[in-house]
Amino acid sequence: MSDEYENKSGYQAQSSEALTGSAGSTPDMDYVRPAELPEQDLYHGHTFLTKWVFCQDAKVIGVQYFLTAVFTGIVGLILSWLMRLQLGFPGLAGFITAEHYYQFVTMHGMIMVVYFLTALFLGGFGNYLIPLMVGARDMVFPYVNMLSFWMFFVAVAILMASFFVPGGPTGAGWTLYPPQTILEGTPGSGMGILLMLISLALFVIGFTMGGLNYMITVLQARTRGMTLMRMPLTVWGIFTATVLAMLAFPALLVSAIMMTLDKVIGTSFFMPTILKAGEVLEYGGGSPILFQHLFWFFGHPEVYIVALPAFGIVSDLISVHARKNIFGYRMMVWAIVGIGALSFFVWAHHMYVSGMNPWFGFFFATTTLIIAVPTAMKVYNWILTLWRGNIRINTVMLWCLGFIVTFVNGGITGIFLGNVSVDVPLSDTYFVVAHFHMVMGIAPVMVIMGAVYHWFPLITGRLLNETLGKWHFWATFLGAYSIYFPMHYLGFIGVPRRYYEMYDSPYMTSAVGMNEFISLAAFLVGAAQFILIFNIIKTLKTGKPAPKNPWKANSLEWHTSTQPPEHGNFGERLPVVHRWPYDFSVPGAKDDFIPQTTPPSEVVHTKVEKT
Amino acid sequence: MHAGIIFFLVILGSILFHIFTPWYWTDIASNWKGMDDTITLTFWVGGGVFVAVCLFMIYCVFKYSYKEDRKAEYKPEDKKLEKILTVATTLGVAALLAPGLIIWNQYVNVPKNSIEIDVMAWQWGWQYRLPGNDGKLGTTKVVNINDDNPFGINLDDPFGRDDVMVQSDIINLENNRPVKILLRSVDVLHNWYVPQFRAKMDAVPGVVTYYWFEPNKVGEYEVLCAEYCGVGHYAMRGGVEVQDPNSYQEWLGEQETFSDLLAKQNKEIETKKVAKNNSNIEKVIYKEEK
Amino acid sequence: MSDPKIDGFELKPGFRGMASDTGSDQTMFKGVHWGKAMMWIFLLSDTFVFSCFLIAYMKGRGSTPVEWPNPSEVFALEAFGVPVPLLLIALMTFVLITSSGTMALAVKYGYEKNRKMCGWLVLATAVGGLTFVGMQAYEWSKLIHEGVRPWENPFGAAQFGSFFFMITGFHGTHVSIGVIFLFIYAYKVFAGHYENGGKRGWFTTMKGDYVEIEILGLYWHFVDLVWVFIFAFFYLW
Repeated sequence: MSDEYENKSGYQAQSSEALTGSAGSTPDMDYVRPAELPEQDLYHGHTFLTKWVFCQDAKVIGVQYFLTAVFTGIVGLILSWLMRLQLGFPGLAGFITAEHYYQFVTMHGMIMVVYFLTALFLGGFGNYLIPLMVGARDMVFPYVNMLSFWMFFVAVAILMASFFVPGGPTGAGWTLYPPQTILEGTPGSGMGILLMLISLALFVIGFTMGGLNYMITVLQARTRGMTLMRMPLTVWGIFTATVLAMLAFPALLVSAIMMTLDKVIGTSFFMPTILKAGEVLEYGGGSPILFQHLFWFFGHPEVYIVALPAFGIVSDLISVHARKNIFGYRMMVWAIVGIGALSFFVWAHHMYVSGMNPWFGFFFATTTLIIAVPTAMKVYNWILTLWRGNIRINTVMLWCLGFIVTFVNGGITGIFLGNVSVDVPLSDTYFVVAHFHMVMGIAPVMVIMGAVYHWFPLITGRLLNETLGKWHFWATFLGAYSIYFPMHYLGFIGVPRRYYEMYDSPYMTSAVGMNEFISLAAFLVGAAQFILIFNIIKTLKTGKPAPKNPWKANSLEWHTSTQPPEHGNFGERLPVVHRWPYDFSVPGAKDDFIPQTTPPSEVVHTKVEKT
Repeated sequence: MHAGIIFFLVILGSILFHIFTPWYWTDIASNWKGMDDTITLTFWVGGGVFVAVCLFMIYCVFKYSYKEDRKAEYKPEDKKLEKILTVATTLGVAALLAPGLIIWNQYVNVPKNSIEIDVMAWQWGWQYRLPGNDGKLGTTKVVNINDDNPFGINLDDPFGRDDVMVQSDIINLENNRPVKILLRSVDVLHNWYVPQFRAKMDAVPGVVTYYWFEPNKVGEYEVLCAEYCGVGHYAMRGGVEVQDPNSYQEWLGEQETFSDLLAKQNKEIETKKVAKNNSNIEKVIYKEEK
Repeated sequence: MSDPKIDGFELKPGFRGMASDTGSDQTMFKGVHWGKAMMWIFLLSDTFVFSCFLIAYMKGRGSTPVEWPNPSEVFALEAFGVPVPLLLIALMTFVLITSSGTMALAVKYGYEKNRKMCGWLVLATAVGGLTFVGMQAYEWSKLIHEGVRPWENPFGAAQFGSFFFMITGFHGTHVSIGVIFLFIYAYKVFAGHYENGGKRGWFTTMKGDYVEIEILGLYWHFVDLVWVFIFAFFYLW
């Protein structure tokens, strides 16, 4: 087996180019400390199985994560169609009973939040981009990384299996609030919920393996010259989200274990005395609110687990395509870290009307609105990056602009819901549905799409079709905006969420037309995603080959030995980093970008401010 | 260019939608005007920020879209601008938070003169209990609940005897009299919500939660369950009728108290004892019960 | 163990040292093995798991309508005909803490490349862990014999049984996993997998090194520390 390892042992020699500078520079100028660590041993697979299935290359694992997550996303999308079919045109599809509707709601929510967005950002983009962007050969524990994906795969398989068990998948709402989650009267309260809890537990275990990799790779395996403050914001976003996940998922694991015990062996952690159909059940003494606290201690950081990578990625995309450095990099980093830290102190803003001690409301409203400040700073910095830039209005930039519009919209409605007494009339109504879809559904999806168009040439070596991309963007953006913007007004009327049917209330009948419109828009947005699938298939077959570094970006992933990068990423020698990744349009420079690997002596005549 | 125009139309459309929307909140029928005012305030501040940010973005798209010969500005940081923006945002957020907290303080402090109403929820329905002449509700227990004691009142609690029981999903309230809604559930989470009153709170099994409001508009309103409670959630409706004091007192006088119910049951038990001896009478009672 | 020497980088003590480590390139924790850093972060995550369990326990204990049983009566053990409160637990705690001591010694001898001593001490730790698990099994069977179940409890609140079996069970699982790994690593030490440049292990493409004993030691000390908290919360409160 030893021949499968490529031995690159021994310390790397100090770069020789450090000693040769252009005229007028001192040799010290390009000095970068020698390598602290020996080269990483990598296991190179030879068979199909070790190369493509049980692969230990983070890039392949990233693509595996991506495709699996997209598969679950398509399932979630179809479920949302079925829901909108019922809401917009009740009775049209006779097979959608109330039970089915609630199962669709639950599975849609859980799939989209956990199995689609989390897995896609951290598992997909995290795996692909972290080693490339920090200049590592691979993740630090490739074997564990491979196990992480397969654990996720098993979790998804179990989740999907719950569609086919007797009673169907759970219909308890994605928050799984006990007691109803495990009682008769909720669809899928038998096998469905059990499989859901097992799947979540496996997801947490699998994610922990991946998360350790992402964290240690960022902390301990950066290349020479790559300080924390020279990392692209993508890495900062994914890294901070991983830290949040490592500390928030334990609460989910614990609540899943406790609920499984309540379900299977009849403990009463979350179950008080319950009278059902005239009979007192054998439960007693438990606290349903305890579950809500545990769930939201996970659930709120989860929102930022999805949002922070999106923040990071969109910062990079905007900077590259506006040909301008990201405005206030330091502020951006501290905002990401600050939002991450604060997100652990706001969870009970999901519980203002849950019956918890009402005095908590003061504390959690205050912390929640404090989070608005760093978030607003990020928005300012994005638009200030556009200001006086040289903006390429291509598909990638369109997705970024779409992100800014939807994110600001969703962020502002967040201020309504975070402010405790404003939340009282609006909570549990369609206002909430509209808010979180806008801010953590549509906005991150905009970033994902932008990232797909941006990094597709890196991953496959071909450029996606721009015309199709623009159609895809406008259909998605306009459609999604016209779903969720009017939906806020349903919430103002007072329409509660999770209503299978709602039209027999006198003051709600006026919303019929709006619901039909929203449903039609939802069908359109879903269908528009097939443009992307078509575009990808077409590009892979006949697309034009991408030149190296097609966007003229600075970060390391575009400066690999080959494109797409091979296993080991950087060929013979690891890159040496001399600057931050945002040196665009530097006065005096020949090109409008200076890659991170360019030593100062080569650009000595430019006015580089930050290194 | 097209992109900027379309984005501009989107923002313009949003503003026009808000101005001309036929879909907006129902007329308020309680004292929580302050909540509506805070929403309005948040709406104007937040909406203003949204429009400003988007318009600035659109301006940038028009002004700075790609030209081969232009070079973007190189300015990594602007400490002063960032400081101004941080301070301004913090002040704005604080200005929105303050009224929110003030109203929340009113929300959690129930006025002394309010009448307590026990709202009992189950899958899937409501019933209500009002204190009797002693002004106090009797204590309850879930395990006590049966056909003879629909609210599970503790039989040894003297306060419970004169409690007024409304075994219907419609409750009448007195206009301009604050009510403290005491929520309890016998099975899963529920939420007693009347959109016109703006207020809501979950009913949690095992504990009693509360909130208060003061109805100030005579009329009939629909009660909705606002916390997902299983497959019948959407059908779990009830009603509220807000009446002027005279009609309210009249209605209240017609309602049955717990002792009335107990007395009736005792009578029934006695009749049943007799009935055991005579199967013909039993049949008659059976018909009556139907 | 001693401060690692890194070319071109001066390790400074104190807060300034931490700041300069953080601000530097390549690694944040200078000279720390990847596996060791991983274990620390895993343990941080695991701390949150146990914290959630214990906070849930506190909340559960505080809000049960039924009286909580008196731990010194429930956990008493008869010794020579006299019921001694907490006797078994004291023994269990003693064994587990002793095993932590042998683990620490194993790490020391490992870094001294003393293969024999290291191996025997890892083995001793494994035996200590096994004894602990055995005693815990005995305690469980005693409680079950007395009628305590996860869903009911003749001494008072049913949640006592639920939380006790769940949390000690979860901790016991940690100990059991630790014991399995201790046996495996004892074998690896004796087989010389960490000598002469090291042998490639499973789960990793990295070559073996005695640092792995320290990593396992971190896990073992953590399990031990968690036990102290469980001990305090269940038996002394």
